Amino acid sequence: MTDQYVNLGEAIKKGDVETGVSESLLLVERGVKPIEIFSECIEPTLAVIGDQFSRLEIFLPEMINSAEVVKAIQNEFKPLMEADQETISKGKIVIATVSGDLHDIGKNIVKAMLEVNGFEVNDLGVDVETKTILKSARDADADIIALSALMIPSLPFVKDVIDFIEANEEARSRFKVMVGGGPVNREWADEAGADGYGDDAIEAVDVAYRLIDAPA
Amino acid sequence: MKHTTRMMDIVQRSLDGPIKDEEDFNNKSISQGLARVVKEYDIQINKDQIVNMDDELADRVWEAAVDFLASSGVYCQSTGRVILHSREEIEEKLKHAPDNVWIGAGTDAVHEVYRKVEDPRRMLLMGSAIGTAIEEEYYIPSLISYVQEPEVDVTMAPTLEKIYGYDIRTRSPLEIMSSWREAELTLEAMRRAGRPGMAFTGLGTSISDVGQLSADGPGGLRNTDLHTFGIISELKTNFEILNKLTHILYRDGIVDPYANPIYGGLGGGMESQAVLITAAMIALNVVFMATCVGSSPTHPFNFNDTGKEVMIPSSLSFQALARNSHLLTNLTITAVGGPGTKTILYECVAFTVMNTVSGGSRILGPRTATGTVTGHFSGLEARFTGELLRAASKLNRGQAEEIVQKAYEKYEDDLNKQPYGKHFKDVYDLKTIQPTDEWLKMYDEVKNEVAGWGLSFD
Ligand code: B12
Repeated sequence: MTDQYVNLGEAIKKGDVETGVSESLLLVERGVKPIEIFSECIEPTLAVIGDQFSRLEIFLPEMINSAEVVKAIQNEFKPLMEADQETISKGKIVIATVSGDLHDIGKNIVKAMLEVNGFEVNDLGVDVETKTILKSARDADADIIALSALMIPSLPFVKDVIDFIEANEEARSRFKVMVGGGPVNREWADEAGADGYGDDAIEAVDVAYRLIDAPA
Repeated sequence: MKHTTRMMDIVQRSLDGPIKDEEDFNNKSISQGLARVVKEYDIQINKDQIVNMDDELADRVWEAAVDFLASSGVYCQSTGRVILHSREEIEEKLKHAPDNVWIGAGTDAVHEVYRKVEDPRRMLLMGSAIGTAIEEEYYIPSLISYVQEPEVDVTMAPTLEKIYGYDIRTRSPLEIMSSWREAELTLEAMRRAGRPGMAFTGLGTSISDVGQLSADGPGGLRNTDLHTFGIISELKTNFEILNKLTHILYRDGIVDPYANPIYGGLGGGMESQAVLITAAMIALNVVFMATCVGSSPTHPFNFNDTGKEVMIPSSLSFQALARNSHLLTNLTITAVGGPGTKTILYECVAFTVMNTVSGGSRILGPRTATGTVTGHFSGLEARFTGELLRAASKLNRGQAEEIVQKAYEKYEDDLNKQPYGKHFKDVYDLKTIQPTDEWLKMYDEVKNEVAGWGLSFD
């Protein structure tokens, strides 16, 4: 990363929204293109942050704060670069913990990791009904539906989402489903017909990349 | 003390308290609130040491926790409001918290008491895999493998993987059936083992309020049993949880809830975790009128609490609680190792010894293979834990620290390797419900080895 990005990189690491935004605007004033700021500074910085969290050298609050800085910069740049939006966002993901299940820590970590890796994530929260998940995925024009379930009695609701998508041609051509959480494992995910499974938040990011690249 | 006037007060606070956005609560009230008190009360931990030796630090953690809780409160997701208690209210309510309780019935009843740091009395053991799932056919034998152990004082059933061969679904008739089935099978296992009055914690398989409460009453969970529910990490609740509590009050059940802060999550690192665990235990009594308060703080990637990052704040927090309150506290051993591995046995040594000298009234578990692998648990680990509780109660913190470090060295490298071991059916003879020779041999070897470290099993 070149010297011009030092301050911005630091602001993202520190979770300093104000400096983050003012530094990136300063860079634009100096003639750097927003898209370059993303690829040359923001993305590599976030990759480092994700890495540090996966080794627990930093914790969730720090990671959330960094993601907040980037979201604010994205908002600031929006009018400047409508055309480039697609390139900045790696893809749109709708994430939820399924019906009856209140466990959200894993989901939140997965969400934060996806965000720092450049995905646009719409978090529906916990205990979300199948209908709501599908509707929100349509409304958000999501590429991926990510589902978390932590208890065995929640597993049928994960399967429901997959079955509902399977049963609808339009939905099948639009959405990929990735799943994870305690009782979910690779074997169960395959059997249920999920497109991807992640053991932890680190794998979740790899799976999301794979699904975005895969043809629908 | 628990009563309906207080319940009404809590419900009203949840309806009238300050309105807050949940994300604001997470980020500002919890994460920033913890960061503030960690700084203000100068909470700094020596990370080479697992068992806390610093009494003044423990007292500062207590002060920080009360300050933090008085400013954060507990968030009610159903109303979008904060249930707040002032510092004075918190202190007043803690004065009336029970310091002992009889659990179970008849000759199977046991007395749970408040224990101090380095208290020479043995902690109680809830011998159980704490809600880990198992296939229906192994449900009763696996449970008998625990309740037949003399070292086991109370138990908690495993959860059913299916009900009469069908998948269980939350908030459906299947959940209510599974709730009744859990109670029925658990009572049957205890009868068969000749300990019908032993208390069990319930109900684990059912998750919603309607599921849990359906089998809480005649023919199901008794008022001499432990009535559990988890609050939502970090420091959150909803009407489903308060519904459970309200019913338990009218049932005159023993209120036995828990809160499981996640290491590295909203609560951050070890210092803030120590404060958060302490605050959560206080909240369980102040807001949820708990008779006994418990925790199983969890590692975000290994899903256990036997790593240093979690044992260090647990030891410190439990000493803060034991030195500054008379709460009946408990921790769950959530281990990575499963039956048929030495890993699980060493994890039991480290955790049990750490907990025993740090105060705490009851230990739960061990929840083997992180509680997430169907059927990977057995009664022998619980027997070992019970024996360790007795041996550890003769130690001071310095002696304990040496043993904890030795045990830790033995399993440290396994923590992220998922040493989940074997299924119950492969480590126990299903006819006699006794451990296989191979599993018993491992247990004997480890027990002999740790006896040489200064744990006296006589
Ligand atoms: C913390 C916890 C709670 C907290 C949850 C707080 C919260 N805000 O989430 C509280 C106290 C509320 C709770 C309550 C209950 N719990 Co609980 N809980 C746990 C515990 C200890 C840790 C879970 C956790 O957060 N782990 C840490 C996170 C980071 O891990 P994770 O969620 O698995 O996520 C990681 C991966 O799985 C993956 N991942 C997760 N989601 C996704 C999604 C995708 C798309 C991908 C790719 C990856 C991915 O990435 C994450 C990061 O690495 C587990 C036991 C354990 N050791 O796991 C029990 C456990 C899950 N709970 C259990 C039970 C039974 C309950 C209760 C029913 C208990 C009761 N009777 O009251 C209630 C149910 C409440 C409800 N309606 O949901 C059981 C489930 C057993 C079963 N039948 O399957 C467990 C396994 C414990 C046990 N053995 O009893 N619990």
